[in-house]
Amino acid sequence: MLWLQLAITGLQVGALYALTAVGFSLIFGCTRIFHFAHGATFVLAAYVFYYVESQGYGTAAGVLAASVAAVGFGVLMDRLVYAPIQRHEGSFFTVFVASFGIGIAVQNLVGMVFGRSFVTVTTPLSRSVEVLDGVYVSPLAWIAVACAGVFFLGLWFFLRRTNLGTGLRALADNPELIRVFGLSPRLLSTYAFALGSFLVVPAAVITGATAGLNPALGHHVMLISLAATIVGGIGSIGGALVAGFGLGLAESLALLQFDSQWTEAVTFAILFLFILLRPSGLFGRAATS
Amino acid sequence: MNTFRLCIVVAGLHLATAFPSQAADHQIGALFPLSGPNATYGDIFMSGADLAVDHINADELLSGELSLRYEDSQALPQRAVVGMTKLVNVDQVPYVLSAFTGVSKAISTLAQRNQVVAVNGGGVGPDLAQLGEYFWNVIPLANLEVRGLVPYLVEEEGLKNVVLIYVDDPLGQAIRTELETELPTVGGTLVDALSVPTTAQQFSGIAAKVRAAEPDAVYIASYGAQQLQIVKQLRDNGVDAQLVTYSGYSVSEALALPESEGLIYTTQSVDYDSDDPVTKRFVDDYTAKYGRAPTAYNVNYYNAVRLFGLLAHALEDKGQAVTGANLLAERMATDSFDLVGGTVSFQDDGTLVAPIQINIVTDGAGQPVATVDVAD
Repeated sequence: MLWLQLAITGLQVGALYALTAVGFSLIFGCTRIFHFAHGATFVLAAYVFYYVESQGYGTAAGVLAASVAAVGFGVLMDRLVYAPIQRHEGSFFTVFVASFGIGIAVQNLVGMVFGRSFVTVTTPLSRSVEVLDGVYVSPLAWIAVACAGVFFLGLWFFLRRTNLGTGLRALADNPELIRVFGLSPRLLSTYAFALGSFLVVPAAVITGATAGLNPALGHHVMLISLAATIVGGIGSIGGALVAGFGLGLAESLALLQFDSQWTEAVTFAILFLFILLRPSGLFGRAATS
Repeated sequence: MNTFRLCIVVAGLHLATAFPSQAADHQIGALFPLSGPNATYGDIFMSGADLAVDHINADELLSGELSLRYEDSQALPQRAVVGMTKLVNVDQVPYVLSAFTGVSKAISTLAQRNQVVAVNGGGVGPDLAQLGEYFWNVIPLANLEVRGLVPYLVEEEGLKNVVLIYVDDPLGQAIRTELETELPTVGGTLVDALSVPTTAQQFSGIAAKVRAAEPDAVYIASYGAQQLQIVKQLRDNGVDAQLVTYSGYSVSEALALPESEGLIYTTQSVDYDSDDPVTKRFVDDYTAKYGRAPTAYNVNYYNAVRLFGLLAHALEDKGQAVTGANLLAERMATDSFDLVGGTVSFQDDGTLVAPIQINIVTDGAGQPVATVDVAD
């Protein structure tokens, strides 16, 4: 039954990867900004939730505060960092370096404010129970998978059935053209950051309870987001979701065949194979000259 | 007139720098993780080292003021080499505090080449005993910890089948080798050894593999935030076997983790209730300054700085310069030192000898259950 256990574990991990990656993919797909500080958004949301929850204000208040912090940080990044850079130069590399720098600064700031030690959100929901002989699943695993499904469906509905969603999709396709329709690419970009940052909250909260937190977590989050975005196809929300689940499953099921040392490497081996054999990813559109 | 005043000032500055002051200040260095996932250790190490500096300056043990120059190693060998190069070439310190096995091994060649003493109080990889005469350890190394623990585990607790989860670096590899050697000698078995990368954060899959192996005990050889993640995720994912680890776990945040309850870990033996004046002063002042009881790491870095104070004091008494070479010669010429924990001596390889204490986490704190003398 080890394979079943590992498959269920992989689904839980994959749900967290998917939730993390979808936000990054949305921001990158719509704005073409390599938002490296997405990892910092994750860390900020997780620590705000941890703080509010540990002060006794409850889970709902914690999620609300984490959402406000994540969305606020994303919007501020867009307005105060990316917009001025793009206005003056617009270089992809300059934007990346600025984002990278902010990510490091936030990591240190979180360490100073919340402490640099490991913290965890204590909840009975993280405790696994035996559902079949030798197969353990925690309630949070189901919650993670359900969250991934609900948030993806919600996002799909939003992008397909609302005017703002249509605007965001148009921004991804042709930012210049949407000016013709009287829309502001700058404003739409801010909405993309707000939404993409909000999407990281469930993964941040669940990670705080299942794996625990430290201020340096952001880099790992960013690596996974990047891998899932490329494997799924840049700009494809569904691709990021599928890739997130796929990478989680591959990482877990790799334990059946490989030494545990190599499970993380599996993620990047898959990424490497995609870059070589299918650069446009699972659902991305191939670039044409 | 202005030119005259300028000449006076320049001449004054020249005179002030031409002759060293009689009370020469001393500076030593430290390579601690001050950022990154192991930054929490930096805080712990600094608290012990800073207190020793306070005590040495308050006692006027040295002719001048002692200060400590910190460089951030992030517990990474490459960063540590950059920091060590700066400490040796720019700050020109004769004595550097080091931590973590990989870091210590990386900087040891620079220490040897530049005749700068490097003192480790946190890394426990057994290789650290063979890094040359300028590399000292004020902490018993992991081979001694495992050697002390294994008979207790198998013979006293009846835990014969052990699974090891180890980080794939010199520390983890050394503990694996030690367990493979020591367990069979007392009738135990290492049923599986699962290595994990230093960057891994998810261990629910590892927990499934551990459960499948049905061990009596799980030995965890990791450090920093990762070792806590492993303990939490093992317990959350249904691993009920006895958890066992080494001195890297003796930090308050680890002991306070609810999932740590009942965990067995080893440290060097320190009697914090001792009436020995050095120990008593350390315990009282540490508790007063930081509002918490000291742990072995605090002791080690206090001792590392105190050791410098004692050696430099002896050199000053003899009218010799406080250089790395002289510090080494003075240490080799001295039989024993009064440090926290009692009077101690160094082995020929520069490693301090101390008994190993076995502790069980009870109500968020380590309770000693046995002390093992492994010197022989």
